Amino acid sequence: MHFLIALLIRILAGIFTTNLFRNVIRRAGWLSLPVEQSLPRLAAGILVVCLADSILRISVISWVDPSSGNIVREFSTRFFLMTVENGLYIVPWTAIYYFFHYIEKSRKQEMDTLKLEALVRELELKTIKSHINPHFIFNALNSIRALIDENPIRARTAITELSNILRSSMQTEKQETVFFEKELNIVKDYLALEHIRFEDRLQVQYEIAENTLMQPIPPMMLQTLVENAIKHGISKQVSGGTVIIVSKMNERYHQLVIRNTGRLDNSGNEDGFGLISTRNRLQLLFGGQANFNIREINGNMVEAELHIPLT
Amino acid sequence: MIRAVIIDDERLARNELKKLLQEFPEIEVIAEAANANEGIEKIDSLNPDLIFLDIQMPGKTGFDMLTELDKAPDVIFTTAYDDYALKAFEVNALDYLLKPVEPRRLADALHKLHLEENRDRESASEDEIMVNKSLLHENDQVFVKDGERCWFVKLAEIRLFESVGNYAKIYFGSNKPLILKSLNALEERLDEKVFFRANRKHIVNLRLIEKIEPYFNGGLLLELKGGEKIEVSRRQTVKFKEMMSL
Repeated sequence: MHFLIALLIRILAGIFTTNLFRNVIRRAGWLSLPVEQSLPRLAAGILVVCLADSILRISVISWVDPSSGNIVREFSTRFFLMTVENGLYIVPWTAIYYFFHYIEKSRKQEMDTLKLEALVRELELKTIKSHINPHFIFNALNSIRALIDENPIRARTAITELSNILRSSMQTEKQETVFFEKELNIVKDYLALEHIRFEDRLQVQYEIAENTLMQPIPPMMLQTLVENAIKHGISKQVSGGTVIIVSKMNERYHQLVIRNTGRLDNSGNEDGFGLISTRNRLQLLFGGQANFNIREINGNMVEAELHIPLT
Repeated sequence: MIRAVIIDDERLARNELKKLLQEFPEIEVIAEAANANEGIEKIDSLNPDLIFLDIQMPGKTGFDMLTELDKAPDVIFTTAYDDYALKAFEVNALDYLLKPVEPRRLADALHKLHLEENRDRESASEDEIMVNKSLLHENDQVFVKDGERCWFVKLAEIRLFESVGNYAKIYFGSNKPLILKSLNALEERLDEKVFFRANRKHIVNLRLIEKIEPYFNGGLLLELKGGEKIEVSRRQTVKFKEMMSL
């Protein structure tokens, strides 16, 4: 038989069977299976395809050239050799097809994971920032209601202070960082309100270096830590205590320190949220460059310390 | 007239509540306390009918304070926020007010209290009201906290006190929480006409006995309404028979 006809039959049979194979792979979804499940299926598939290809070719050849059945080799040998030969090109062909799709798939997966991570971060930042203790809001409102009769002027400023806090907690969702001065003003309003509530039981001291006022810091972070100092420190002391806020700078860091009367409670997980979210936010915003730690000093004070890298 | 004590660590919060209570002439605020220890002092010395109790306080919470009382007055909790701690209660077991307090909610809470007050008065005969103050009446309630769960329990509902070391396990309904009180201390305060010391380890409520059977050595075996079987020691059996024959 003419060599070209044989080649043509071979090519057409190959295209036909591998195309059929591709359809089977796609219909059965073998590409989305884990590797250890898809490889045996593909191997079995390849064997079937090789055999089918041989059968197809032999039948076509014997139909085109009935005399070919009489030549030298026995049918079984011919069939076997043809199948092996098929394997020589169908195996690499399938492997290329499989790896092309495999790489594309993992690339797409990676993209999806990245997108999801970005979304989670964004959501995380939002919830962390907007976290204002509802206890505080309602206690403040209750104190203000009592003040309306007792000290109307103070009641008026108290409402302004509360408005500032609520406004800033809503606005910060849009910003990554704010000037320290702005954050400090919120904290001052907050502590002024808590002072109405705790009266003599709360003393506040500020030690603020002038040159730190224009430093960028994550919004509501200092506020969260000061809230913790009140919630876990001052409000648990029958005779009250002191909150000290220190802000200073060296050549590498902006250092913020919050000290309060109280003990560090390691037993419970109550204060977990504030601390964990502070750590997470620093990690998200500054990578490993920022630092946060909290410890007990002298057995009756708790000190939280923040190191924010200068930009 | 209902004699009330306000317990809250914030002066302004106490003032605010006092002002709201001026609208209710039947409530007389006889004292205020700024923390749990002061609260216990005032309750022990003044024996109020009602307390307004803040939950979050320095030192001890309102719940901690209640567990230390031998008997709990009527309690209306006040809190700034819908505290998860309040969810530990059975729905109708208590009333609480959210600060800032809405006057109408306060009126509702007090109204509910009046209804209960009247019902209690009707059921208690006169000599029972005049009874020795240090003795607990069966209509008195105790506050019980077991882990996350809390109850106000009327003594009449408790069928059994069981000694467990320094604690007593109390049986009511399907619950058996522990309270930090010794059986001997309880025996002194409980009305012996209702609560009977069956043996070294148990005090039973005589009104909640289902069955009485003879037992070894001339003792008795009591079966309570909850199915608990309690042995009456030989010595106490004599006393038990005397009481029952009266």
